[in-house]
Amino acid sequence: MERLGLITLILHILIVVVGGFITVFANNIVRSLTGLILTLFGGAGLYFLMAAPFIGIMQVLIYVGAVSVIIFFAIAFTRRAQFGLTESRKSSQYFLVCLLPILPVAVLGYFLVKEITTSIPVPQISSVQTLGKFFLGPYVLPFELISLVLLIAMMGAVILGFEKKRIQMEQLDQAKQEE
Amino acid sequence: MNYLLIYHLVALFLMCMGLIGVVWRRTFVGILISIELLLNGAGLAIMASAKLTPTADFLGQAGTLVVMGLAAAEATIFLALVLVVFRRFGRIIVKNTNLLRG
Repeated sequence: MERLGLITLILHILIVVVGGFITVFANNIVRSLTGLILTLFGGAGLYFLMAAPFIGIMQVLIYVGAVSVIIFFAIAFTRRAQFGLTESRKSSQYFLVCLLPILPVAVLGYFLVKEITTSIPVPQISSVQTLGKFFLGPYVLPFELISLVLLIAMMGAVILGFEKKRIQMEQLDQAKQEE
Repeated sequence: MNYLLIYHLVALFLMCMGLIGVVWRRTFVGILISIELLLNGAGLAIMASAKLTPTADFLGQAGTLVVMGLAAAEATIFLALVLVVFRRFGRIIVKNTNLLRG
């Protein structure tokens, strides 16, 4: 049974790794988004393996269901701008891509391998009721602040989206005044 | 090699890929996708730290849910910004977006 769990874990890690590479290095932006969705599904599987099915379902719902669709809308709205992408990369980009991962891998990886020595082999499953009571009891302020952040993000998106109309109206007003 | 270390190494991998993507991608949408990778790695690390240690595990679940909510808000704002940049410049390549206007 434990062997089966290990095989499933390795399979999901493989999904995450392959998806990550597709996400970053695919030439087509739609293919890159598909890689992101693959990675997110792999992450959801990892949550399920950690005995946190609620978070796994939320990962599929929020990330795959909402965030990926938003990114797809961004791609669809700016489809014209994606074509003819023949800009060459700067040499600083090649330099940074080779050099940037070294720092976190060296520092964080060293401390991870050094410090993490024990782990619970079989995590216990916890009920969603506990989480709900936790959110509505001691953590009610962050919970409300998250809803405030989401509301403000929504308002900001709407205001930014209507910007063109406002500029057009200002230009019309200016033209009328000049007449 | 225990499970907690494995999960943290996966999270570290996601963080590295996100950082590489932010540098490597040339369009705003590509950068947004890379930032999602970064945030997903953060959520995974928080969850593993709470679930595979003797910490109360609803702390980790709450933290991961907060990260997910912030990721959704960030994606919304980023979509609006991409649309504004697309209208003003006609392209969404980061290199060409170099005009500041009051």
